Amino acid sequence: MEQKTIISTENLVKTYKDNGMEAKAVRGISLEITSGEFTAVVGPSGSGKTTFLNLISGLDTPTSGTVQINNRLISEMKGRELSDFRRDNIGFVFQSYNLIPVLTVEENIEYIMLLQNVPKRERHDRVIKILDKVGLNGMESRRPTQLSGGQQQRVAIARAMVSNPTLILADEPTANLDSKMGSELLEMMKVLNETTGMTFIFSTHDQMIMERARRLITLKDGIVKTDEIR
Amino acid sequence: MIIFKIAFRSIFRQKRRSILTALSMFGGFFLSAFFIGFSDGSYNQIINMFTRNNLGHIQIHESTYLDKPSLYKTIRDYEDIYKKLQSIKEVDAFTPRIYSAGIVSVGEKSTGVKITGVDPKRENIATNFNKKIYEGDVFSDENSYEVIIGKGLAKILKASPGDDLVVISQGADGSIANDSFKIVGLSKSGNELEDRITMYIPIKVAQELLTLQGRIHEIAITIKKLNTVPEITELINEKIGSDKIIAEPWQAFAKSFYNAMQADVEGMWVMLVIIMFVVAVGVLNTVLMSVLERRREYGVLKAMGTKPGDIIKLILVEINILAVICIALGSIAALGINYYLSIHGITLAEPFSYGGMYFRHMTSEINLRSFVIPAVIVILSATVVGFFPALKAAKTDPAKAMRTH
Repeated sequence: MEQKTIISTENLVKTYKDNGMEAKAVRGISLEITSGEFTAVVGPSGSGKTTFLNLISGLDTPTSGTVQINNRLISEMKGRELSDFRRDNIGFVFQSYNLIPVLTVEENIEYIMLLQNVPKRERHDRVIKILDKVGLNGMESRRPTQLSGGQQQRVAIARAMVSNPTLILADEPTANLDSKMGSELLEMMKVLNETTGMTFIFSTHDQMIMERARRLITLKDGIVKTDEIR
Repeated sequence: MIIFKIAFRSIFRQKRRSILTALSMFGGFFLSAFFIGFSDGSYNQIINMFTRNNLGHIQIHESTYLDKPSLYKTIRDYEDIYKKLQSIKEVDAFTPRIYSAGIVSVGEKSTGVKITGVDPKRENIATNFNKKIYEGDVFSDENSYEVIIGKGLAKILKASPGDDLVVISQGADGSIANDSFKIVGLSKSGNELEDRITMYIPIKVAQELLTLQGRIHEIAITIKKLNTVPEITELINEKIGSDKIIAEPWQAFAKSFYNAMQADVEGMWVMLVIIMFVVAVGVLNTVLMSVLERRREYGVLKAMGTKPGDIIKLILVEINILAVICIALGSIAALGINYYLSIHGITLAEPFSYGGMYFRHMTSEINLRSFVIPAVIVILSATVVGFFPALKAAKTDPAKAMRTH
């Protein structure tokens, strides 16, 4: 598979100001991530992992430096343009699943497609297909509260992937799961990564993810300490 | 559609909070609908007492008569006007009148009076004149020299039915008009001030006494629907087609009464503003609380690409679904109570006076505005107040919201 750079950051800096005090969460990260990577961003608490993920997803804006995704400068985007870009290019998987509790599994997964104006029939077909991939066949009409933590996270992964985004950003996806469930989920994401070619970037403390990742970026005090490709 | 789904289902998520919000909306709607229905019922009852039972809804006079009444400002071709009034189907009834001032005496007692010449038959149909007679009888004949006097006037003159009464007044030809009448009945109009000075004689006798043959001062008209008074007045003026003889609505010839009513109606709006405020506070409190609790959810929606405008829409739709449910339930409750009170009414322990008339039994009314105004109030206040929390939710920073556990 041909690999091209899909994320490129240059001298990325993020400084938070609180009561006149400045705290530098990211202190100048420059790196490139190519398509199809299965990358883990690791480091101790406060090392800047989540901030880095927020910056490359456009959820946060850098104090200085640039972020490019698919050669588009997202660090300069604002409002509607940025929100449309996120919708079409980035899938999110959160530590606490963050499914919409009042929607069924099917409705949660099709939400992004509704924002993209995908026709009803296609939405339904894609939901059924992705549910099959994440092993939740027949659960489309259940509510999140009727699912286990692992099942909810599978729905979250299905929701992130259903619109075929350029990359999936997963912030501590296994943190709320037991090791067996975490391992199963991780295995599933790896298979999805290999079969779909979608890029996965994790922010994690989880040893299992670190072991399975093909690239391990270690952050410390807001800078890249090591960048290991396996 | 998905926004509507999330909004609708979210109502049942925090049932206690939704019930609290709904209670303030339901309460506000019900109180407003009841209050407007009851006020309208009471006001219309008072207006009816003044108009249907007394003054009429519309009156026709010589054009300057109302500004400065005079014995000489008369309507001559009133039979012709009768024909025109009969051709208007919205006109219920009409009756001619003559007015003059005079002095009356019974035995050794004398006092000033307002002489009112009435057509007994027409007056009965138009203003239920016969129902005002509480002692004695109605006129035996339209040419009889009989008089019906007000209750208060009878008290002043120490007179009762069967007594003779002498009237002194001025004729239109400048002569002194005087004659002797027999008191046949005592009347009670509900207006105490009026009853102290009023005496009624048949209109033909009044024309002869005051040398006003073929002339009258007023035609009082009652119509089928009170709310069509302006249009019917205009129609009558078109039919009469004269600048000298004009029809005017009750708001013009009972101006001070109308102004007092208007002041009372403004009081009702103050009450509605207070109710709106109560609804607004209730909604603001609970919606703000809900938005703060669901901050993370809004953050997720925004992260996935939901536009701020859609988040605002989501919250406002949620509030308005609740408002519509409350309006529907409130309408049923308000309809029930207003229907009951429109039939049975409320009897007050002590009667209250309005414009010299006494009221004891008040009834409600079922009309469209008593539902539309509260519905607009509830939806408007909920939307306006909900906009602030909605804006707050729309501004949720996804990165910050996601950090909040």
